[in-house]
Amino acid sequence: MLEIHNLHKSFSGTGVLSGMDFKVDKGEVVAIIGQSGSGKTTLLRCMSFLEKADIGEIIFDDYKGDMAHISQKDIKMLRMEMGFVFQSFNLFNNMTALENVMEGLVTARKMPKDKAKEKALEVLAKVGMLDRAYYYPGELSGGQQQRVAIARAIAPEPKVILFDEPTSALDPELTGEVLETMKKLALEGTTMVVVTHEMSFAKEVASRVVFMDGGVVVEQGTPQEIFGNPKEERTRQFLNRALHKL
Amino acid sequence: MSERLIGIITSSFFKILIPGIKVTIPLTLLSFALSLAVGLLLALIQVADIKGLRQVARFYIWVFRGTPLIVQLFIIFFGLPNIGITLDAFPSAVLAFGLNLGAYNAEVFRSAILAIPKGQLEAAYMIGLNYPQAMVRIILPQSFPVAFPNLFNNLISLLKDTALASSITVIDLFTTAQQIAARTYEPFALYLEAAFIYLIFSTGLTWLQRYLEQKLVWKSDKKR
Ligand SMILES: Nc1ncnc2c1ncn2[C@@H]1O[C@H](COP(=O)(O)OP(=O)(O)OP(=O)(O)O)[C@@H](O)[C@H]1O
Ligand SMILES: [Mg+2]
Repeated sequence: MLEIHNLHKSFSGTGVLSGMDFKVDKGEVVAIIGQSGSGKTTLLRCMSFLEKADIGEIIFDDYKGDMAHISQKDIKMLRMEMGFVFQSFNLFNNMTALENVMEGLVTARKMPKDKAKEKALEVLAKVGMLDRAYYYPGELSGGQQQRVAIARAIAPEPKVILFDEPTSALDPELTGEVLETMKKLALEGTTMVVVTHEMSFAKEVASRVVFMDGGVVVEQGTPQEIFGNPKEERTRQFLNRALHKL
Repeated sequence: MSERLIGIITSSFFKILIPGIKVTIPLTLLSFALSLAVGLLLALIQVADIKGLRQVARFYIWVFRGTPLIVQLFIIFFGLPNIGITLDAFPSAVLAFGLNLGAYNAEVFRSAILAIPKGQLEAAYMIGLNYPQAMVRIILPQSFPVAFPNLFNNLISLLKDTALASSITVIDLFTTAQQIAARTYEPFALYLEAAFIYLIFSTGLTWLQRYLEQKLVWKSDKKR
């Protein structure tokens, strides 16, 4: 459904992604793991055009385009079909939880207010935040903010949702509620790309695990393959470190 | 204090206060409104980095901040008629004060917009907003509370600077005090009176600022 080919990205001369290929099919939950600095965030940001790729091709359903020379109009059209959940939530501070969720429906998609409100309340209920609908971000805990951010991302029913370490800015006792919410979405068949350091989440929830290093995909497969029997030495080393840290 | 002096002071108080209310305050408010519009426009041009226009905005700010306000007043009121544009004294003053303060408010708005974390704009993009929508719906509403204290300080400065309008024949609070001083030969008393009335006005604005800031702080506290 969403494919990236030969993605290159460097920051002031330093190569971060060097010919990366990546794809996600409808209904898949892809977990991306890898060391800090391996380019996971950069991949998601290039896919969503928050960062401009140096070279790369994107195929998104019927759309096919050059990522380095894409028009603003195409970017906007593609973003309408993507959701993004940030590490630092980035809820709109000037709006209540409900308004945060409604904004993409009303302003970007021109949905009538009453219908948008209905939809927003429905997704807030799904993430367990209905009772906080009229709270501002500053009045919510980190875990609650991230659940509202997830509601905001899923409300327009995008084809794919990109998560960039959705729990790593949270206190350990708050990660559970967010991971549970994401698990619920996964079980409903939501297509998800999740950059994560939560190996247990990758193991239990992902349908495919992608290990990135040095700006390329080193190895990918089912969680059983990657965690049970990694083929590459680099994968093995990374997992040893990551799993023993926990 | 002689009875004559007391008589002059009491009889002139309202004669000065009334043009204060009818001229100085409207002049301040209209100029301020213009300066907000100019400042916001200049700030948006700069942060949106609109090619070509950005240089125009920088040039504008450079000129208006780099030349004396009274010279700008004179150019607009005494100078423009030479090229066929004749304005009355009051609109000339509004224009000069508004355009001048606009250059300063542009910097206030610009830094307030830049103070909003980048993630707010990125999140707006990812729910499908375009740049103008993100500005209007997300960034500007969060910038106003940040800009507010500095904007209000500029308003209070403007109130006092409007006394310069007397130099282009606007009959405001200060011009009236000057006229009465000349007639009665009591400049010391009259200018103290004028100063006192400016002080009342600016104190009123300071109270208003404190009141509004409390409301804003409360609100943005809630929102943080
Ligand atoms: N805007 C930027 N400017 C310059 N360098 C950047 C920028 N963004 C990322 N980098 C560099 O690119 C490399 C990859 O960063 P990226 O954030 O993609 O890694 P990551 O895999 O997400 O790491 P982490 O697990 O710590 O989040 C890093 O070396 C980082 O310093
Ligand atoms: Mg990252």
